[in-house]
Amino acid sequence: METSGGRSVNGSEHWMAMEGGTDASPRDGGYTSRFVGIGASLPERRLSSEELMASTEHQTGIDLERLTGVRERRIAGEGEDSYTLALGAARDALAYADCAAEDLDVLIVSSISHYVGGLRWQLDPPLSVSLKEALGARHAISFDISNACAGMVTGVFILNDMIRQGRIRRGMVVSGEYISQLGVNAAREVRTVMDEQLASLTLGDAGAAAILERAPEGAPGIEVAGFTTLAEHSRLCLAFPAKIGPGVSMYSDARTIHDVGIEDTVPMLREALDQAGLEFDEIDYLIPHQTSTRAIQKGSEEFYARMGHAPKHVVVTVNEFGNTSSTTHFVAMWKYLREGRFAKDDRVMLLAIASGLEVGIVIFKVDQLVERYGHDH
Amino acid sequence: MGTIIEASATATATAHQRSMTPGALELADAAARACLERANRTAEELDLLINAGIYHDKILSEPAFASLIQEDIGANLGHPAVAGHGTFSFDVYNGACGLLTGIHLVDGMLASGTAELGMVVASDMDPEPGISQGFRFPGVGGAVLLSADDSRAGFTAFRFATFPEFAELFQSAVGWQEDARGGLAGHGRNILTVEIAESYAARVLECAEATARELAAAQALDLGEVDLLVATASVPGFADAFARRLGVSGERVAPLPDGLSSAHTAAPAVALESGRLAEASTVLFVSAGAGITVAAALYRA
Repeated sequence: METSGGRSVNGSEHWMAMEGGTDASPRDGGYTSRFVGIGASLPERRLSSEELMASTEHQTGIDLERLTGVRERRIAGEGEDSYTLALGAARDALAYADCAAEDLDVLIVSSISHYVGGLRWQLDPPLSVSLKEALGARHAISFDISNACAGMVTGVFILNDMIRQGRIRRGMVVSGEYISQLGVNAAREVRTVMDEQLASLTLGDAGAAAILERAPEGAPGIEVAGFTTLAEHSRLCLAFPAKIGPGVSMYSDARTIHDVGIEDTVPMLREALDQAGLEFDEIDYLIPHQTSTRAIQKGSEEFYARMGHAPKHVVVTVNEFGNTSSTTHFVAMWKYLREGRFAKDDRVMLLAIASGLEVGIVIFKVDQLVERYGHDH
Repeated sequence: MGTIIEASATATATAHQRSMTPGALELADAAARACLERANRTAEELDLLINAGIYHDKILSEPAFASLIQEDIGANLGHPAVAGHGTFSFDVYNGACGLLTGIHLVDGMLASGTAELGMVVASDMDPEPGISQGFRFPGVGGAVLLSADDSRAGFTAFRFATFPEFAELFQSAVGWQEDARGGLAGHGRNILTVEIAESYAARVLECAEATARELAAAQALDLGEVDLLVATASVPGFADAFARRLGVSGERVAPLPDGLSSAHTAAPAVALESGRLAEASTVLFVSAGAGITVAAALYRA
């Protein structure tokens, strides 16, 4: 079967830009990429939702923990910012991957936030330049990308394409999100549960990194990766420098994003699963973007009803870390790997639904990753 | 199979004065539309849309600027009831090397068959004229449309290099400043500051030359073969000075027009407006920017 772009000559078509699977492009080189290290960097400081809501300027009457399920989130401390969180996560991932930074062919920084030196948002140079230098990734091509909360999954998509073709052997995508200050700004302005800045109160700080490399022949790895942007919804969430103080403010129509996200993701799930030759219940762990426990639960139920099947487990970490934007999927993976919750033959689906509206899906087998975290069951 | 440039286009602030200060988004949209029109393509044909511009309206950090461009130009906005293909869009930030970095990513996805048609768009505009400090890039947007062609070589090699020892020479950031003019907070505002040291122009030439010569050596390219040099670094006079260092005749330099000599991320597209790409057989693209980061690419007709 010959495929060109998103279309194949036999008539089957993909809405998503697609890598791998049953009718993969014959031009993609035939290699498989796999995750070999997931790292994270979490600030020590914790802020409970109760503490955050006690700091609001107005009497909101909002029970944030009950509404979102977010019990607490990590807060960057003195000397921590997007750059330091990314650097910590990158070093952690290298340790698990058992490789040196100079073995990286590509380094992608995918943070939304670009804070270096406190609340100083750096535009030029890109963060990747100083991160590459600090890591010693002297052979790596480096650049930044930005794709809202889908940034790290977008980086995986890019690296997967390069590795599958044989253009590179190994690459890292890393994000450092110092975004708790959006919650600080929102706490000054939020008045009701319908406020456009409500979602900012769920945010937490974290760094995460993922290293992908070419898998040995026949070894499992990423089976399918797909992405699309449904841009009719591009203006549902906007973030820019705050008017009331340092940092950023974010304004989102969270309810509409949730509704259209669920509605528009269902056909993408079908497409990605079809491409992988799988049913939804053959996914052992679904890791969705972590917005709120209620949104994840409601969304999952909708998916089950529409798809006719359910994955065996749905990963929820938003309760303890909050929404850490582009890092959420990988903070969750890191936690589950460290806690030994994945089995070697488990199949995982990363599902990114982000401002844009971006829909990204990555399906992979965990395989050797579990051993790198001291678990072999 | 080679990745070829089907078309390129630009849009300048001076030519788009529907508003007093057209923003970066309006410039990006106009350049993207013009580019598609020149290639007789429609937005629906795009599989991939990458924005490489940095200085956005409101210094927007979310969503990806590319998704706004995608919506404005009408590229596969939502999943239809019938089969079709969508557009995937995201942003690449690599300073003044962003456009070539975006081209490199499109090249990869065209080669793998993940995409069939991709466009890289870049635009910059002072987000707050009169408030920003040190912003000196002209308002201009550019777009480059790329596809795969089995009969032509197109982009045959890329090389990227960073020189972090010179990172301090070009810095831009948004930070809170106490400001008597107040802003909405009454006591200050977030302000964009761009700082480029005087020595940057000399250093960026050295870094660009080193990277270009590495690319030439790796590709066994005699620089005398280069019949079009597209060299940009957000610094007036860079292309001519760079050509002299490489020993390339000034006649072979793709010029930046007056008023756009310090164009930032869109500069390579601006240089292509000279229209000489169609006649050139060996084209050397070199972009350099903050970092110092250098991107070089070899394009053969």
